[in-house]
Amino acid sequence: MSSLVGVNDADQVGRTSALPALTVSIEKDLEVLVQRFPARKREDLDSVRIALAAGDFETIRRIGHDLKGAGEGFGFPELSAFGAALESAAIVRNERALGEQLAAVEQFLSRLRVTFR
Amino acid sequence: MAVVEDDLSQAELLSHWLELAGHRCHHYDRGEGLMRALDQESFDVLVLDWNLPDISGVDVLKRIRASQQASLPILFVTARNREDDVVMALRQGADDYMVKPVRRLELIARLEAIARRGKHHNEQPEVLELDVYRVDCQTRTVTREQRPVELTAKDFDLSVLFLRNVGRLLSRGHIRESVWGPNAVVTSRTLDTHVSRIRNKLGLTPENGWRLAAVYRYGYRLEQLDAAVPRTPRNSES
Repeated sequence: MSSLVGVNDADQVGRTSALPALTVSIEKDLEVLVQRFPARKREDLDSVRIALAAGDFETIRRIGHDLKGAGEGFGFPELSAFGAALESAAIVRNERALGEQLAAVEQFLSRLRVTFR
Repeated sequence: MAVVEDDLSQAELLSHWLELAGHRCHHYDRGEGLMRALDQESFDVLVLDWNLPDISGVDVLKRIRASQQASLPILFVTARNREDDVVMALRQGADDYMVKPVRRLELIARLEAIARRGKHHNEQPEVLELDVYRVDCQTRTVTREQRPVELTAKDFDLSVLFLRNVGRLLSRGHIRESVWGPNAVVTSRTLDTHVSRIRNKLGLTPENGWRLAAVYRYGYRLEQLDAAVPRTPRNSES
């Protein structure tokens, strides 16, 4: 995972606006797809939040599993790592870990700035 | 190629990569959607996810291996990375297995490798000799018992397609796409007319040891009949 992310640093969670942007450079031919990707993942996070409140761990596991599979292919290995962590936490029904990971992914997406090369 | 993947972002990415590599992609987000399509379509290669919303990728794999599309090359692309998952998929008949996240060039290389092993690759031999037929793709000529057969350009392409896929059931969609291209509008009647014409011109009939058979609502299959079977299907008592 990139050392820039710092998403596991607990005292940063909740202070997103004060954190600098994370700039990721992606191949130009993926521009159209990549521009849709973060928005879709934000929708997934809304679903995770609802599922977490409802104790629906299977939905969270599935979303985490998909994120793990897709993130790196789009140029965001951090998202694959977050996806794996979400999946693992959902399997053992660890609500605290899920909450922390959810906040970490949200923080990552809010700081993300993509350029194309 | 067909991609079965329920995550839309992942499906778009895989399809994008495959299309950049020159392959035409058909996407299905459910296993049952693919199985329905396989009733009417055939593909060169299938990219299959394991975790699907309706049936598992392994169940899709088993059903395909038990169907008339049993020889379809299949590459599993899944985030499941346990050794027993990989082993199970390969033992159930997957041709290869990749763990997500996949790398673009490796994905393409693996797909092309299993397509080659399935003998459906593009780099076919320039000259194909089969029974009494000799096809020269460079001069675009076909001879039968050393005599040239007059064929139109499309009839030649259609002949090559069948002669390179003896015994394989080809869907109408696959035939249309291979011979006329992905965007051509070709009616079933036109296709049937061309098939009928090459059947006659090449003598692909049981008397000659061949059968170019129509499969109802699906497509066609060229079969070479067993040499032991009498080639003249006359009833001697009639």
